[in-house]
Amino acid sequence: MDRTDEFLKEMGNKISEQIRKPKRLYFRVENKDLLEVVEYLFKKMACRLSTATATEVHRGIEVLYQFSHDASGCYFCPRVVMTDLKNPVMSSITPVVRGAEWIEREMFDFWGIKFEGHPRMEPLLAREHPKGLGHPYRFRRTT
Amino acid sequence: MSKNTIPVGPFHPLLEEAEYFTLQVDGETVVDIDLDIGWMHRGHEFISEQKTFTQSIYLVERICGICSTSHPIACVHAIEDVCNVEIPERACYIRTLVGELERIHSHLLWLGLAGHFIGYDTVWMWAWKYREPVLQMFEIISGNRNHYGMMRVGGVAKDVDPAAVPELSKILDMIEKKMIMIAKVANDDPVLKSRLVNVGVLSKQDAINFCAVGPTSRASGVPADVRRDEPNDAYGLVDFKVIVTENGDVYDKLVVRVLEIIESIKIVRQCLDKLANIQGPILNNVKEIPPGEGIGRYEAPRGEVFHYVRTDGTNRPIRHKVRAPSFVNIPTFMASCKGIPIADALITLAAVDPCYCCTERSLKVVDHNRDSLNINLLAASRTRTEEIRREIHGR
Repeated sequence: MDRTDEFLKEMGNKISEQIRKPKRLYFRVENKDLLEVVEYLFKKMACRLSTATATEVHRGIEVLYQFSHDASGCYFCPRVVMTDLKNPVMSSITPVVRGAEWIEREMFDFWGIKFEGHPRMEPLLAREHPKGLGHPYRFRRTT
Repeated sequence: MSKNTIPVGPFHPLLEEAEYFTLQVDGETVVDIDLDIGWMHRGHEFISEQKTFTQSIYLVERICGICSTSHPIACVHAIEDVCNVEIPERACYIRTLVGELERIHSHLLWLGLAGHFIGYDTVWMWAWKYREPVLQMFEIISGNRNHYGMMRVGGVAKDVDPAAVPELSKILDMIEKKMIMIAKVANDDPVLKSRLVNVGVLSKQDAINFCAVGPTSRASGVPADVRRDEPNDAYGLVDFKVIVTENGDVYDKLVVRVLEIIESIKIVRQCLDKLANIQGPILNNVKEIPPGEGIGRYEAPRGEVFHYVRTDGTNRPIRHKVRAPSFVNIPTFMASCKGIPIADALITLAAVDPCYCCTERSLKVVDHNRDSLNINLLAASRTRTEEIRREIHGR
């Protein structure tokens, strides 16, 4: 049983919309289950958070966390979808993964996503900007 | 004793780029550090989404002047992850050759700067002296000393002339002798040891918690290296060791980099031997990129460079995420700088080989009325200087 099968056996009931490719597993997870899935990836499987990517699509704003399982070279990518475009809110994973602090602040800065439970929810790159950036990556929608 | 604040930056002799650190000190000891990034506005991710895939490769090459081939390699890996294209064997060796030469020159650049920062300019002069022949090798291979323009989706843009291989091998032999000498010096030199051992220690657990990468994490005992963990290009075809040390201090970071230079020389030699003997195409044409998502990464000199590309079947990405290694390595300062003397803080800040233009690749300044750079930067700069003056002097 490889690590992907092991993960699916343990967390399969909490995920949906699986896209499985060689050494890549993308899947959707509900916000309420995010911390449990992330805790399993980070603490039980010893994955490392590479980064997270926000994308605005027609169904809402997606945040895709990219966890690298270095021992096997696999990526596990939980995806959270927020449909409220005016007030996108989701759970922060920073209390579990310290290394997520900056990337969540960057997404707050550029996309206006609020991460509940983040220890320091303030802009990262535009902290000193005289007017604030105004979430520049939200200027257009993609398919 | 009362706590004081020492600002480092935004413009400081230590930093080649504009950054701002606030050190909270109690006497001579740093008790806390705050990092304020965001002084460079380039909007690479946004621009990339308006370029074709081929243009994006040229764009990401310009994110960083030092690791200017690591971003293109990670970018083409991401696009190739979407379209599952095979890379010709010769192209694999050329990619690895260029990537490893870049590691040698980047580590030598850092070594020289580190020597300079601790006032040991002999190290700086020797390291940079032997970085120069590496740049000459790049010039022979690509025609450029930097920004080589070698990467393409499906292979590489330029072949290595087999007639140039003997000359490249000759330069490499000379560099190898000097690097072995530098490794011995690093191992024996009492000045380096007294200045760097047990300075700015990053524990293994902190390296894991901060998700640090590259020499920063390997010096703390975390054995992660993309070249071995996901061996793309020729990394599965060549022999090399992943250098890992345990102490996590600045000296161990130096040792990891110096020994990695020697491993890189071994890899380059294996690639040159293969390129002298094997023939074949260097590029598989990719006619279209299907809809999908792709992850590409490469072990840059500073650690894992990560690119994520999302496509919709057109000739440009709808999302292109770039994460440079410094973005995850710089926050480790919050662990490694606490409790050390002020005099050690600067070399500790420099020890992760931070690259701020990589870190801030995506910041985009806009006018609220429309998408354009339309703020008075001079006025904003003066306002901020005045604010800092008031914060520090209270008037």
